[in-house]
Amino acid sequence: MNESDTQDSFRREVKSWLEANCPLSQRQPIVQREQIWGGRRRHFYSNDARLWFEAARDRGFTAPQWPVAYGGGGLSFEEARILREEMQAMGCRPPLYDQGLWMLGPALLAFGTEAQKQQHLPAICRGEVRWAQGYSEPAAGSDLANLQTKAEGEGDSFTVNGTKIWTTKADDADWIFCLVRTDDSGPKQQGISFLLIDLASPGVSIAPIPLISGDSDFCQTFFDDVRVPKENLVGELHGGWAVAKEVLRHERQLMASFESMAEKPKADIVELANQHLDIQASGAISNANIRSRLATYLMRDSAVKQLGERIARQHEVQAGDPALPLLMKYLSTREVQQKNEIILEILGAQGLSLNASDNSELYDSRVKQWAFDKTLTIAGGTSEIQLNIIAKRALGLPSGRSS
Amino acid sequence: MILTSEQELFRASLAGFLSQKLPLAALRTLRSLPLETAYDKGTWRQLAALGVTSMTVPATLGGAEFGWLGMGAVAQEMGRRLSATPLLSSVVLAQGALIQCASPAQIDRYLPALLNGDEVWTVAFEERAHFAPDCVLTTMTARGLKGGKCMVLDGAAADRVLISARKQSGDFGLFLVDAQAPGITQTPARLMDGRQYVTFEFADVPESSGQWLAGGSAERDWAQVLNNATVILAAEMLGSARELCERTVEYLKEREQFDAKIGSFQALQHRAAHMYTELELSQAAVDAALVSFDSGQGDQYALVSAAKALANDCFQLISDEAVQMHGGMGVTDELDIGLFLKRSRVCNRLLGDAHWHRLRYAERLGF
Repeated sequence: MNESDTQDSFRREVKSWLEANCPLSQRQPIVQREQIWGGRRRHFYSNDARLWFEAARDRGFTAPQWPVAYGGGGLSFEEARILREEMQAMGCRPPLYDQGLWMLGPALLAFGTEAQKQQHLPAICRGEVRWAQGYSEPAAGSDLANLQTKAEGEGDSFTVNGTKIWTTKADDADWIFCLVRTDDSGPKQQGISFLLIDLASPGVSIAPIPLISGDSDFCQTFFDDVRVPKENLVGELHGGWAVAKEVLRHERQLMASFESMAEKPKADIVELANQHLDIQASGAISNANIRSRLATYLMRDSAVKQLGERIARQHEVQAGDPALPLLMKYLSTREVQQKNEIILEILGAQGLSLNASDNSELYDSRVKQWAFDKTLTIAGGTSEIQLNIIAKRALGLPSGRSS
Repeated sequence: MILTSEQELFRASLAGFLSQKLPLAALRTLRSLPLETAYDKGTWRQLAALGVTSMTVPATLGGAEFGWLGMGAVAQEMGRRLSATPLLSSVVLAQGALIQCASPAQIDRYLPALLNGDEVWTVAFEERAHFAPDCVLTTMTARGLKGGKCMVLDGAAADRVLISARKQSGDFGLFLVDAQAPGITQTPARLMDGRQYVTFEFADVPESSGQWLAGGSAERDWAQVLNNATVILAAEMLGSARELCERTVEYLKEREQFDAKIGSFQALQHRAAHMYTELELSQAAVDAALVSFDSGQGDQYALVSAAKALANDCFQLISDEAVQMHGGMGVTDELDIGLFLKRSRVCNRLLGDAHWHRLRYAERLGF
């Protein structure tokens, strides 16, 4: 690919900045406990982690494409791609993890008022506030528009009552962005509004949900007569669905790229197989079934990445097939789960304990990773919902009674 | 597939030509012709004049240097219409072997007639029921070539044949011989997809009746030709699979049962959407292999095997689903769906089934 001189000089500039500012320890594959999440519970695993975070924050690289005025890096699409490529090439860890960064920020940039942008975006970039997402409810999962949490307007504030579930790490978060029902007289999707709620508000209570992984990455969050100022409404009153769709779009991209955020080399799984399985003199794994499935997984995983690159390139030349991005979440989450299943089989008896500490990619054990990654085909719209969307938008199949 | 504007222009004009000259109806005609007929030679000459024989040939040899991505697009358009042409047998395999494995004098002598479509060749390289390119028992003895070959694509129409064999020294080589040379017995047959092949028996074919391709390392260079052919076949298969996927989705939008378009039923929507995701995933793998031929970068053996394995799985899935979703009509000869189904099984087996390529991929990656 030919790059212009400007891009070329930006690449050199970024490279030398990363060399100078990203400590060597921060170029190692990340493990979960060393991730830097923002907010009141922010802590640094090491001094290097703090240095790397502060350097990235001050350069605007926690949110490279956001405007400088809101604490971002002000980079173009092209420049952000170059930064991403250089960070991946060097193995630099993401300097900050936050749902505000990934999901709320892009929605505020598109739909927020100037006051909302100024209040929230810089705080997100600086890692001062950690956000949770309040979408699903016990009776509103895939059928998200069925949500019942109510916000009733009285004077200059709303009173919120109801409950949200699968609120990722709400117990560590400071604020939550929520979909709430402000009108139930019309069609389900039309009476929904998008609200920002301070989790320190009186009437909010949060209960972690123990998962099959043994961790509690998700919570249930309860709202009992919680008062929320009206200036915390994002977008139009009853017009929250449009904002939510923008957030979901970013969430699905995030889910699709979930693995690459902290990717170890592909050789990792082959190395694991070599350590744990019988190997023939030729170097072949003796277990023909695992060998064949491992080949299938690696082929498909490469193809998923090749498809992702093709989509990115088409996006650049503006000739993209709009249907292609829809496929990525469905395909990539399946492959991650397939990989985990193969890893568990490779580990044999050692793959049956949740407590073994072997420093896997994101989690403290590969078994926890396996259990947690079962969420990938559920969160952010289940695979079945993705297929519904592909059938309608990419293939043009007619709407049915049951979908 | 992201083509250059020139490649895209060529693809579009070729698509127009094929729709006119080699639509699916032409395959229906072909399958009822005598066993010796492999394709329409007049149309092939016109295709050669359009440039399909010179796509990947260097300009120094009189080629168009249109690249492997361009060649992949040609194969894909042929796959869409199940066009019976010697693109794989004569161009990618035989002509490819000539360019890769022959001496400059041999190339000068034989290439022009292949490029302009006056001659068509094929390669006889299979000896077993399952793809095994390393199994070469056919041997040149002092009295001549002994052995046999099976599944020689378009063999009955070929003017000359390249035969993979052991030389008297024991080295691997490609022996170029006139298809009518003494000692060669041909048995023509037709595959279930309507395409033509022959089985050869060699009973002391005199070494003097032909010549060995005399380039560099025949074994390595022939492996490169097989890699190229495997990916072009995979591209053709995805052209067929894409056509089949589109036809099936159209049928789901038309067919009514229970007072509704059957395409409104979620059970069918999900299967159709899944087919489409598999198609795009496989396309990415095939494109990556084509790009690696053009750029010379990447582990080509791994990319080739990934492309063929994914194309096999994808074409198998989509052809099965297409028949099932067309219901009773899907198993009638009146509909074209069955032609694609039969072609899928032939293509899946040619140049290595999915299992063969998974094993080679594993070997390549060191497990």
